[in-house]
Amino acid sequence: MPLIKGNKIVADAWHVHADESVPKQDYCIIDLACWQENKASLISQKLTFGLTLEGDADMTNVTDDLQHFALIAINFPSFVDGRGYSLAKNLRQKYGYTQDIRAVGDILPDQALYLTRVGFSSLFLANEKNALLALEKLAEHNVFYQPQTV
Amino acid sequence: MYLYNEFDQTLIDKRVEQFRDQTQRFLRGDLTQEQFRPLRLMNGLYIQTHAPMLRVNIPYGLLSSKQLRMLAHIAHKYDKDYGHFTTRQNIQFNWPALESVPDILADLARVQMHAIQSSGNCIRNITCDPLAGVCADEVEDPRPYCEIIRQWSTLHPEFSYLPRKFKIAVSGSPKDRAAVQVHDIGLHMRKNSQGDIGFEVLVGGGLGRTPVIGQTIAEFIAEADILAYLEAILRTYNRLGRRDNKYKSRIKILVRATGLEKFKEQVETEWASIRYGDLVLKQDDIQRVKDRFVSLNYERCDDSQPTQPTSDSGLFRRWFKQNTKDHKQHGYRIVFLSLKAPGCPPGDVTGKQMNLIADLAEQYSFGQIRTTHDQNLAFTDVKSVDLYALWQQLDKAKLATVNIGTITDMICCPGLDFCSLANASSIDIADGITQRFKDDAVDIGDVSLKMSGCMNGCGHHSIGEIGILGVDKKGEQWYQLTLGGSDSGQSKLGDRLGKAIAKDAVIDAIDDIIQVYKTNRAGRESFSGTLNRIGLAPFKEKVYAAD
Repeated sequence: MPLIKGNKIVADAWHVHADESVPKQDYCIIDLACWQENKASLISQKLTFGLTLEGDADMTNVTDDLQHFALIAINFPSFVDGRGYSLAKNLRQKYGYTQDIRAVGDILPDQALYLTRVGFSSLFLANEKNALLALEKLAEHNVFYQPQTV
Repeated sequence: MYLYNEFDQTLIDKRVEQFRDQTQRFLRGDLTQEQFRPLRLMNGLYIQTHAPMLRVNIPYGLLSSKQLRMLAHIAHKYDKDYGHFTTRQNIQFNWPALESVPDILADLARVQMHAIQSSGNCIRNITCDPLAGVCADEVEDPRPYCEIIRQWSTLHPEFSYLPRKFKIAVSGSPKDRAAVQVHDIGLHMRKNSQGDIGFEVLVGGGLGRTPVIGQTIAEFIAEADILAYLEAILRTYNRLGRRDNKYKSRIKILVRATGLEKFKEQVETEWASIRYGDLVLKQDDIQRVKDRFVSLNYERCDDSQPTQPTSDSGLFRRWFKQNTKDHKQHGYRIVFLSLKAPGCPPGDVTGKQMNLIADLAEQYSFGQIRTTHDQNLAFTDVKSVDLYALWQQLDKAKLATVNIGTITDMICCPGLDFCSLANASSIDIADGITQRFKDDAVDIGDVSLKMSGCMNGCGHHSIGEIGILGVDKKGEQWYQLTLGGSDSGQSKLGDRLGKAIAKDAVIDAIDDIIQVYKTNRAGRESFSGTLNRIGLAPFKEKVYAAD
């Protein structure tokens, strides 16, 4: 599945670490349960890893840990579920997270621009056709009343 | 009237092209029904019983003659030559073809209009008092603030996929003519003891299946802070509102489940993180928007009464008394154009009428027209001396029915005739009521009658003094009556009168209710006054006497 970052399709170094074991290599994306279970050993390994969050994730126990994640992937279970937009905005504005925020799951090319406006820095599209269309949408001249989230 | 700058124009032009592309991709099969649905809804396009329905925004109910002529053109070219004005001050076209919608949007953009977010799970048209700027009891003209909120909410990247639709209304007067208490967010403009402008913020009001009166979440939010505060409410709702059941997804359900105090805490935590950020409104920002509103140059008039005509004088006087209102400016009056003439579905206007109204507005009222929450139109700035000439023309065009505020000036949804959600028809019931009461509506006095064809409540039945709700009983159309609702001053939900009534008995039941009121009222007592004093029982007895 193609990944868009910086307005182009790029190779994806990351992979999803699906089971509950402690990952042993760099660029694994773990879920919240895995993080909470293995926090101490993950920190001591000094690996580069990312975290997947669902749109309704309770942030209260993670906000102090954000510096450990080189990437946060926010999952969209359905393209009409807008929780991920506010979560990304919170990560940028409220919690000051400055690394990669990636949109994964059910996202439409038509949503690419809005996602990047609220703080997503990479988008994981379902197929090449969608990715190319998303790039086209991102390149269009557009104007917004709302400030860009950085 | 707010005039677009180049930026505003570019934004809506871009949106037209975007939607043209989306429509073409859908027609080519590149977007599924399911994927196209939220995209078209965000542009005001529903798929209804017979055809698509396009809802066009009229921000805070303000139209120019030029814009109204364009609406007439659209009605004529793309529809069946009429339009329907809604309770949220918008207009709906019931018969456009899907393929022509991008062209309609392009026509609208030429006169600074659009259909952005007139439906879908996003922030809808911002509504306000139809008498903003001309009523004497105003704290501040709310329209520039409505425009500021319109801009902030338009194509908002974060709030375009909310759990459910989201409606905001603003009132500039202590008297609530915008139904702010039954909106997801209601804003009442206030001045604090230092004379600073701000807003009392109400949250969690709404009609529909679970009608709720909004509660005050903040007594006073200064104008500089209002956008950040709104954003904090919306973010809290977007994060925490339910998405598993569309009937439990409105903010009112979230506020009720969370409790107002806890919800307020959550909002204020969000607010604290953005309060001093990009959304702070500086005086310059507000002034820039105010400067783009055309100001009206009132003439100095002696407060002469309208010229007394010799013929028709009785009818004219009755119209003057019922359909016009005091203006804050000496020598001017507010004129309501009734869209509730006998034989016409409430809120409907033909293309020909629209063109005439546009001409009359130019001739008599600065080329501006207001749409009202009661599905009528208003010329808010007519010189008293011009009233008779204006009345003659309105009367000829069936726009001067003497019934503003009366039982035949009812709010009514399109019902089963057009809407795919409805359980029962409303337009034929409305016509029956008009026929029954057209001769004595004024004598009965002001009674608000509101009717919805299903429990989604688009006709606001819960807040009518008389509410009629269409229900389906084993494939038959029945009607549930409520009495005592209110949307002015302190909003109140009506109480159920009794079991539902068969369709052919509804008009008689309404007649019974009116007879009980007329028999029991003390002097000029209002319907609600009498109801409060004598209670529901006498009405119940009369309506259900045959049982």
